[in-house]
Amino acid sequence: MEKFLLLIREDAEQRAKMTQEEFDRCIQIMGGWVESLAQTGNYISSEPLQHRGKVISKDNIVSDGPFIEAKEAISGYFLIYAENLEQAASIAQTCPLVLAGRLGMEVRPIILFGNE
Amino acid sequence: MNKTDYKIGASNGAGAGAARGETVRAGTNCLVEQAVGRLYRSHYGKMVANILSRYPDLGLETAEDLVQDAFAVALTEWARDGIPNNPPGWIYVVIRNRAINRLKADKKMWVVADAGQADTRSVVAESLMGEALLSMEEVPLQEQVVDDEQLRLLFACAHPDLSPKVQVVITLKYVINLKVEAIARALGMTVDGIDKLLSRARKKIREEKIFLVEPHAAGLVHRLPIVHKIIYLIYNEGYKPASGDAVLHEELCGEALILNKALMDNGLGGRATAALHALMLFNAARFGARFGPRGELLDLEDQNRELWSKPLIMMGCDFLRRAGGLEVEGMSPVGGSTFKGGGVHGLGRGIPRDGAIRGGTAGAQPGAGADTDGVTTYHYEAAIAWVHCTAKSWLLTEWRLISRLYERLLEWGPNPFVQLSYAIALFYAGERTTALAILHQLLQTPAMNQYYLLNATLGKLYLLEGHPGRSREFFTRALGQTALVSEQEFIRRKMELIGD
Repeated sequence: MEKFLLLIREDAEQRAKMTQEEFDRCIQIMGGWVESLAQTGNYISSEPLQHRGKVISKDNIVSDGPFIEAKEAISGYFLIYAENLEQAASIAQTCPLVLAGRLGMEVRPIILFGNE
Repeated sequence: MNKTDYKIGASNGAGAGAARGETVRAGTNCLVEQAVGRLYRSHYGKMVANILSRYPDLGLETAEDLVQDAFAVALTEWARDGIPNNPPGWIYVVIRNRAINRLKADKKMWVVADAGQADTRSVVAESLMGEALLSMEEVPLQEQVVDDEQLRLLFACAHPDLSPKVQVVITLKYVINLKVEAIARALGMTVDGIDKLLSRARKKIREEKIFLVEPHAAGLVHRLPIVHKIIYLIYNEGYKPASGDAVLHEELCGEALILNKALMDNGLGGRATAALHALMLFNAARFGARFGPRGELLDLEDQNRELWSKPLIMMGCDFLRRAGGLEVEGMSPVGGSTFKGGGVHGLGRGIPRDGAIRGGTAGAQPGAGADTDGVTTYHYEAAIAWVHCTAKSWLLTEWRLISRLYERLLEWGPNPFVQLSYAIALFYAGERTTALAILHQLLQTPAMNQYYLLNATLGKLYLLEGHPGRSREFFTRALGQTALVSEQEFIRRKMELIGD
């Protein structure tokens, strides 16, 4: 098994308009998905992000963001185990909120360092 | 008055006669439907794979269409002409003839487009005609509970590029031969959702020729853990008491046991297979006891242990012994047995505790992991189930032993749901403060904060701790976290214990 980071991408405007009830409902739906990931031994951890942040540019300038121009912003992450990148992507596709067209995901393999 | 009465009686009699006639016809139709249904369940995937391996040019979708059509034809023709002597052979001939016709039609179009290939065409046509002359007796489809073709398909479905969910869906579709609606009901998904998963899976099956390629011996060994996982997932879907359709769910558990047994009978299984079998049997022993007289959900604590199936527990013990690796001494079939040294002496021998399992790519193989001794998570889960099965009562359960088994299970990788069970075991083993601390830690994780079972557990344990206020608070939260009526009722019954 290899490790993968799933970056959750979500429409920033919609996310900002979400009520607490809607957000709780999303967390519950994601909780169900976590349960199935844990059952299959693929789950490591996950966290949602608050809807605010700062961006530091290469020339060290701090600004609020990245929500102003970006239509999609990162709104959370999952760490999972998967057999390979194909399977990791296939797993991301089974997320109920992805299936409902509510969010997208970026799937990135994590570099592992051996000790030999 | 009498006449009228008689008339009514007569017309009633005629009506009854007509109804009887219809019943007879409906009975035949019903028999045919059952026969076709059974055949579908045992042969759908095999027929698709079979026709596809003979005529790869058909493509998966066409092959599935042809098989579906043939079953529909059988339904009408058998109702008219009766069920033939060799039903699968009959259907197979229909599929094959239609496949040949389809290919001939395709070839014609193709030849018109490229006239230079005339020679190839005649050879193809000849061999196709020759095939069509095969008699029904030569059709190679025999009846077995699980045959080689089904096992081959099972390993094909265990493709490492597919997500476990998709692996389960295509196994239910092509190995267990469930229809899409049944798969949707079994997995608590919509038909549309299953269709979406299936259409993506079909694309992959087509592109990678997943059903055509014979996984070589080395591939089989590599895929065995995935096959175990598929079988266990199917079993768990069947075991879930929450969703309706009890018959379908019991069938799923049965199918999982049959497939797993077939692995062992065909020399494909290993110690993990035996451990998984033990685990499934221990759970199966409690299958009927999970519901009370009014059909309400009962947890382990409230189940009538007299209803647990002793023969299944005995069979489970047998497989757990065969699985080895746990050094379980004096494991008698029912009750009174203890692990050597009264603890977990020798359990998980060979599992490095220094993090070698956690790190590295060969490390934590969650859900299907095996250490160098071949001890797997199934061994520990089966051992836990065994301790429960052989305990005299909930309170007389060897909770300390169970908590240690959960500790070992957690060494395979993080799993908040295993941690929840671990904390419960710790609580009943007397380590109440540690248990509650773990549960509150879990409550802070986004994965578990809204999980009804965690909140219900906290409600229950706070009541035992003498904090009815906190107990009610957590139960109330749990109530809002599940939409399932059976689970809500379960929580309400627990809440009744709080009193005023």
